[in-house]
Amino acid sequence: MMTTILLMACITFFTRYLFLHRALPFKVGPKMQQFLSFSAPAVLTAIWVPIVFINDEGINLSWQNPYLSAAIVAIIVAYKTHNIYLTTLAGMGLFLILN
Amino acid sequence: MHSIKKPLLKGFLDMLPLCLAVIPWGILCGSLAIQNGFTPFETQAMSLLVFAGSAQLVAIELIAGNTPLLTILFTTFIISSRHFLYGLAVRHKVIEQPMRWRLPVSFVLTDELFAFSHHPRAYQTQTRLIYALSAGFSFYIAWNIWTLIGIVAGTMLPDLTNLGLDFAIAATFIALVIPGIKNLATLVTVIVAGFCATLLKSTGFELWLVCSALLAMSAGYAVTRIVKNKDAKS
Repeated sequence: MMTTILLMACITFFTRYLFLHRALPFKVGPKMQQFLSFSAPAVLTAIWVPIVFINDEGINLSWQNPYLSAAIVAIIVAYKTHNIYLTTLAGMGLFLILN
Repeated sequence: MHSIKKPLLKGFLDMLPLCLAVIPWGILCGSLAIQNGFTPFETQAMSLLVFAGSAQLVAIELIAGNTPLLTILFTTFIISSRHFLYGLAVRHKVIEQPMRWRLPVSFVLTDELFAFSHHPRAYQTQTRLIYALSAGFSFYIAWNIWTLIGIVAGTMLPDLTNLGLDFAIAATFIALVIPGIKNLATLVTVIVAGFCATLLKSTGFELWLVCSALLAMSAGYAVTRIVKNKDAKS
């Protein structure tokens, strides 16, 4: 079991460290950099949207879905306030009331 | 001394909502492993060494199901492959720093820390490095405390992610993404990412996360090019 855990640790560290290794002989050009500038919104959104729309039965697009209404409120608060604490509180608050 | 305290505190406070949002998952990682026959030592070691929530949760189920080692490692690699993108994206900011900074930064380069890496000068001054490491390692410590609680509570606690507390991570990610949408290209990126991820994940496609991220980034990049060409012509 510990062998498996250690090997897993090597893999996750490898994926995080590889491109921060100086001996890798390449430079990220301006076009590639532009492409990569979209990675944070792309990955983070790809993580949170399925949490909202997918449940155990599959895709749930109904307005009765508490994840959906809470997400819409969170989006509005995030857009208006740019504040992570207010957004999380408003979203979680509504979610707990609805759920 | 004073110049170190400020970025330390700011890193901790910026990461705090995310530390709290992953409570359900951290506890689940601890309790699920114990329920599946891991010793407390092995369970904690996993969070201390692997430090990757989604990979840990999947691996616990696979190990419990007596899955061959290579399959477990391959799955870990697939789930972790999004980190290649993060490394590429911050490479030009971090690469000039000596090993003693790059090593710890890469160890804590999670989705959460990457979300705080967009500043043009991120990782490039000592203050910003201290800020990043404070944020990264406070998340690391929190993750391990939640795991420990899961180990101790074991079967006593209900699965908090089934109670809908998984919404907390969605709310924090919304707070991180929405204020950053300042142009059409980023808006398109976000819409494509959400659409593709929901579609691909619901079909059970294993590479859903990396594929939808790459599709979304391509869409955002394409919009930038189109807008640039239009501006150049007019």
